[in-house]
Amino acid sequence: MGKPHAPLDLLPGTLDLLILKALARETLHGYGIAQKLKDSSDDVLQVGESSLYPALQRLLLNGWVKAEWGASENNRRARYYTLTAAGRKQMAGEREDFDRMIAAIQKVLQTA
Amino acid sequence: MGKLFRRFHYWLRRSRMDAELAEEMEFHRSLAGRRAMGPSTLALEDARAVWIWPWLESLWRDLAYGARAMLHQPGFTAVALIALGSAIGVNTSLFTIFNGLALKPWPIRDPARMVILGQNYSVAEYRYLAEHTRALSGAVAMGHCGVRLEGRQAGCSAVSGNYFGVLGVEMQLGRGFRTDEDRVDTPQAVVVLSHALWRNRFGQDPDIVGRRVKLDDVPFIVVGVTSRDFLGTPSGDIWIPLPSRRLLRPDDPGMLQFLTSPRFCCANVAGRLAPGIAREQARAETELLLNQFRSQFGLQKIKVELRDTRWLSGAATNDKSGPILAILGILFLAVTLVLLLACANVGNLLLARAAARRQEIAVRLSLGGSRLRIVRQLLVESLALALAASAVGLAAAGVLPGILARRLEPAAAAHMRPDVSVLLYTIVLAVAACIAFGLAPALHATRGNLADALRQEARLPGLRLSLRGFLLSVQVAVSVVLLSSAGLLVRAVQRAETMDPGFVINGISVVSLDLPASEYAGPRTAAFAQQLQAQLEGAGVGLCDWQPLSNSRRQTNFRLPGEDEQNGRSIDFHEVNAAYFDVLGIPVLAGRNFASGDAARQAVMVNEAMARRYFPGENPVGKSIVWTVPREIVGLVKDASTQGLGPAEPILYIPFRAASVPKILLRGGPPAAERVSAAARQLEPRVEVRVAPLAEAFDQARQPAEIGAVLAGGIGILALLLASIGMSGVFA
Repeated sequence: MGKPHAPLDLLPGTLDLLILKALARETLHGYGIAQKLKDSSDDVLQVGESSLYPALQRLLLNGWVKAEWGASENNRRARYYTLTAAGRKQMAGEREDFDRMIAAIQKVLQTA
Repeated sequence: MGKLFRRFHYWLRRSRMDAELAEEMEFHRSLAGRRAMGPSTLALEDARAVWIWPWLESLWRDLAYGARAMLHQPGFTAVALIALGSAIGVNTSLFTIFNGLALKPWPIRDPARMVILGQNYSVAEYRYLAEHTRALSGAVAMGHCGVRLEGRQAGCSAVSGNYFGVLGVEMQLGRGFRTDEDRVDTPQAVVVLSHALWRNRFGQDPDIVGRRVKLDDVPFIVVGVTSRDFLGTPSGDIWIPLPSRRLLRPDDPGMLQFLTSPRFCCANVAGRLAPGIAREQARAETELLLNQFRSQFGLQKIKVELRDTRWLSGAATNDKSGPILAILGILFLAVTLVLLLACANVGNLLLARAAARRQEIAVRLSLGGSRLRIVRQLLVESLALALAASAVGLAAAGVLPGILARRLEPAAAAHMRPDVSVLLYTIVLAVAACIAFGLAPALHATRGNLADALRQEARLPGLRLSLRGFLLSVQVAVSVVLLSSAGLLVRAVQRAETMDPGFVINGISVVSLDLPASEYAGPRTAAFAQQLQAQLEGAGVGLCDWQPLSNSRRQTNFRLPGEDEQNGRSIDFHEVNAAYFDVLGIPVLAGRNFASGDAARQAVMVNEAMARRYFPGENPVGKSIVWTVPREIVGLVKDASTQGLGPAEPILYIPFRAASVPKILLRGGPPAAERVSAAARQLEPRVEVRVAPLAEAFDQARQPAEIGAVLAGGIGILALLLASIGMSGVFA
């Protein structure tokens, strides 16, 4: 695990992409998404509910994820999010844009 | 589109969605071990705002943009606002009148529980129903009774004793009627005054209760004054108990029959639903009870319908509501056309403006702006315009109907104020107008591509002209229709003015005499009338029981000889002397005029309408009719519309009986009336004499038609103005 870094602010617009990616292979509830982002980023990305839930609503609104109520691991009612076909397509597109953007930023940083 | 649907879906079920979101976030916090993660309500708000805010915000932005655009083009805005505002104004005003006339429920406690049975019930039938009903917590009866109050015509309702109690009318002063004032054998001379009458005629006298006022010639005691909000059902000035009508017509045996016979018509009946009873239940019970009653007397079975008090039964409707509604219907059509005209007009202006913005729009489209978004923005701009225009319209609706109502039906003026339904109507109108004038130009402006737009800058004509041409032809067509119908209506009123009423109006004076109220009742009045009649014998002045064109009439029942006694036919009758026909220039066509001794012989005269209906193709002179006793028809006179303007109705003339103070008709002005006044003063020095030209009554009778013509002319002129604005806008 190593030494935890201080939490970073995300680049604008990337949270949606990260959530879509987190849901790419499994169905998760809100807390599960936050945990997954935290774990897979070695504790760098700590998403609070104040940004997570508006983002989830946005994805619901755009039809990229859908939500269903189910029982959680400790037997409480929880809302599980699943990626839709439109969401998968959106993720691919955003992934491409993101890669281009990062590459461009890297290029600027290296040459400047 | 899916996004819009999801937003709508969220909006429909927003309280459940919000609860779910809150639950979900609470769950999150419990898993996170309640660590501080920012204030949760704020997070909740942020999440919720995703669904609502951008949509509202962009709508607001578009509205603000539209308002700014309006301010930047004051000329265009002023013209559009005047055109749309006046069109919406006349529509809203008319709706306000319609609303006050027909749609407002009765101004009573809990009007939703009141139901109306209708007006074809006998008083006896009503009594039976009121006594036996369980589904109604109370049933009331009411009928019209024309009387003069202190010498002036008053709208009078004769009502059952429980009327004010069942309706729940609040009293400004005193009380409503008691049930012991509702007994046929012991009629009481009690009267309740309306607030308006109390204010206008009695100067809001706080000691009015207990005072005597004179109805016709009979003193009645004031027992109460209604609250200001209650105008009556329909509107009236005074209320008396049903049996008290006997006091007003002591020598009319028909009155007792009206109050007791199951065959006599008619009383309006209404009832209040008992708690927990549905209207259908009450209807079934009422129908059963009424048919039980009717079968006892061998009367036909009837179907009963219970209407609510809202539709066409509001405070201002009365017997005249049929024609009034027909006129309103025509006016609605006219003002709808005016609105259409204004929409075509503004649509054309917008189209011209959109042409100027075409490049801007084309650039936005080519830069990837969605067409839907731009159409929406243009529509919202139109909406801003329409809403501003409806504010103008609402202001008009606050003023115009009141002015009209004060001239036509003063009692109803208080009801002609805009309310929530008027506001809703105006908003619906504004949105409809906005779509009517804004959608086509918006779609048109966003058609085509950048290259087209840039090319078209050089040559303006093209596709656009066809839409403009269409709108222009709509304007021309609508304004031609409006103008020509307005012209026809004005012409019809002109013809009505020159129409021959069948009797002389100009140069005729009407003398009215008022005797001191407290001393003159019944026999003494008759004695006065007889002496006066004797004095005026041979003076060539007409005597009659009611003044022509004063909206009053008296009715009785008669039958033809040999007919069954139950076979009563209702007919107007008029007490007159022989000189009446001479003074009014009504020619005797067959037989002879009244002569002395005719009263004792029970002779009658009839008009042509009566002869046509009951003696078709025959000469009625020499025949007889039965009205309590057989009466011989001695003369036939030409039709004269003395009951009111319009075709003459069948009428029976009987010799003046001198049971009440006559109205005196004579040729010439006040000097000619001097002899009559002198004769009256000689008999009673305290008598009040009023002399008025008959033409005055004629003018009053004609007023509704004149107002109609002014309205039609006004709408026509508005249409003409709108059309010319539209044309000059296009050709400029």
